[in-house]
Amino acid sequence: MTRNARSDALHQAVRAFASGQSTRSFSDLALEIAAFQRDFSAGFERLVTARRRALKAVEDIPGVPCDAFRLARVAVHPEAEDQLRFGTSGTTSGARGWHVMRTAETYRTLALNYGRKALLAGSGPRRVVALAPCLDAPPSSSLGYMMGMFMLDFEPFAEAEIRTSERWLLGDTGVDVAGLERAANLAREGGEALLVLATSFALVGLLDVLEGRELSVPGSSVVMQTGGFKGKSREIEPNELRQSVAQTFGIAPSHVVSEYGMTELTSQLYEATLPGSKLEAERQGTAGVYCEPPWLRVIPVDPIHLEPVAQGEIGIGRIIDLGNVDSAVAIQTQDRVRRVQGGIQLLGRAPGATPRGCSLAIEEFLARTT
Amino acid sequence: MSDPNSRTRIEPLLASARALKDGSTERGKRARERLVASSGLSLEGVNFAISRCLEAEPSEQELEALIRSTPSAQVAHVLLSANVFVAAHRAIAIGLAASETVHVRASRREPEMAELLLEGATNSFRLVDELTPHSGDRLWAYGSDATLEQVAVTLPPGVAFHAHGSGFGVAVIDGALPDSDVNELLSRLAEDIALFDQRGCLSPRVVLVGTGLNQAQSIARALATELTRVEQRIPRGRLAAAELAEITTFHDTASFAGELLPAGLGYVSVAESATWSIPPIGRNIHVLPTSDPVKSLTSLRPMITSCAFAGAAALRNALRAALPGARLCSFGNMQAPAFDGPVDRRDL
Repeated sequence: MTRNARSDALHQAVRAFASGQSTRSFSDLALEIAAFQRDFSAGFERLVTARRRALKAVEDIPGVPCDAFRLARVAVHPEAEDQLRFGTSGTTSGARGWHVMRTAETYRTLALNYGRKALLAGSGPRRVVALAPCLDAPPSSSLGYMMGMFMLDFEPFAEAEIRTSERWLLGDTGVDVAGLERAANLAREGGEALLVLATSFALVGLLDVLEGRELSVPGSSVVMQTGGFKGKSREIEPNELRQSVAQTFGIAPSHVVSEYGMTELTSQLYEATLPGSKLEAERQGTAGVYCEPPWLRVIPVDPIHLEPVAQGEIGIGRIIDLGNVDSAVAIQTQDRVRRVQGGIQLLGRAPGATPRGCSLAIEEFLARTT
Repeated sequence: MSDPNSRTRIEPLLASARALKDGSTERGKRARERLVASSGLSLEGVNFAISRCLEAEPSEQELEALIRSTPSAQVAHVLLSANVFVAAHRAIAIGLAASETVHVRASRREPEMAELLLEGATNSFRLVDELTPHSGDRLWAYGSDATLEQVAVTLPPGVAFHAHGSGFGVAVIDGALPDSDVNELLSRLAEDIALFDQRGCLSPRVVLVGTGLNQAQSIARALATELTRVEQRIPRGRLAAAELAEITTFHDTASFAGELLPAGLGYVSVAESATWSIPPIGRNIHVLPTSDPVKSLTSLRPMITSCAFAGAAALRNALRAALPGARLCSFGNMQAPAFDGPVDRRDL
């Protein structure tokens, strides 16, 4: 079979798995994708060889470090076949990586499948806005792209054109509070729930602007928060942010749902806290515990040998994402994680080696020489 | 003409350093035991660092230059870093050149060298737990950029601050050199890398080779062989868990992005990409083929402290102009700059 024929078959298999129409196991699919990537990605083949492990179990699949995306192309196919290109966040040296996809269909299927389960409660009408910069064209932000998909899919009568200032409420001058209040009013008048998709730093910006003033949104509204602060705002401890956001929006804290995603991944994890959502019904989650979708698995590993740690111990997250058919099925993050009842706890980024004296602090050890 | 008092103040320190260099004496042996414990280096690593890098007998010209380039101070305060234990010697000498009253705060992680120097130069300077500079004093501080930033914001007005922060060394090999010359250079470079297990701000982390990928790969292989050889003579010391974790990440990242060669316990990576990763400490280095080494280093300029160079004079001059804050030196001398002032010339 040719490369693209194998890729297409794997994409189809993953989508079938995600919709519950497959008899194949997660492990079988993960290993088949890893074998495919070893055959067509020279970088992954070198990594597998360097790790000296036969690909016999999911735990054997080496994770491609996130930094590799900044140093090399992580893909089995040539650039000409890229359908989506999402940029990773840049470093201070300007080095930026790309997660490329040969097809948008799998991303769309997986993101919508799990997003609906985690963020939608009931079948009533809803209005979706984002506290994020307007989606660019072609989209370079995976988060923006996902938010745009949610706008189109979650609103029954959404206009096809979503790149409007009514939708995207974060600009150069900060959060468009008036726009948010306008959306809240329209939702209330229309008997809709408001779904606010937001980055953590945008929410902090909103709290700072409002200075304790509360918004009037429908009680069934939901806020999805994602991402860290990346130095763009002051930092707030997650639970405090949840409480403050809930109070500001006048909603229950369980209606503030955290999402965990990365540009290097196709899939996302969510807290299963939203009452009435399918995910909450299935998993009855608690705040701070992120639930993996069936097609993604987080393996906490020790940072030196990269071997799985014992149940309940802290490791760094290796993420097996079946959605990454054409890039890297296993991603090695530096995020500290712990498996707990019901999912994964995120405990922040593993600190780099403490810079000793004047040796270079390799907090981000990428150099760019052009 | 330099201040003769400065010279008089520095002399006992030099005598103390000379005594430490002798590993056959009881004091020399004890010093090595203490330094092995505090630095994490192997005994061979400590011995090699002392013999190669402890400047106990600087030339008259070097001393003259050190004293001349050091501004005087009411009180000289010296904040030492942990990594390169011999650096305490130069830092204290600069303090003594500046003032007859020198207060030194050693790193909590590496307090030994300053104490050892003081044992042989009693009353030359004071070891203190906290530095409390006042207006009119000067503070020379060595450490990570983050530490220096913290120090800077706590200083009272009127204190002159001389900050020497994070950095690394680079090596540049002109592509036109014959193989025999290159092998000799790599042998010396391997020693530069091995010193202090690469924890120093002068330690080389990247070799720029003015050729294509094939020759760079050949140089990377030869360098890996030399590093393996050096490790047999000078074993790598202990690394912290976080340092080992960084090496693991580097191993996997570099394996994916290009070629990675085992080099004893360390690695040599080679890739043609314009974006590359600065290897972590622990005897790891990246070989970068480039048609224009000067241009390739431009964006890294603020971090480069030292540049070993071999090749044509035109390239040497271009590097000198492009890297005014770095010391240009020969291979094998990256960690032993002239004793004529601070190790780097960057204006931080």
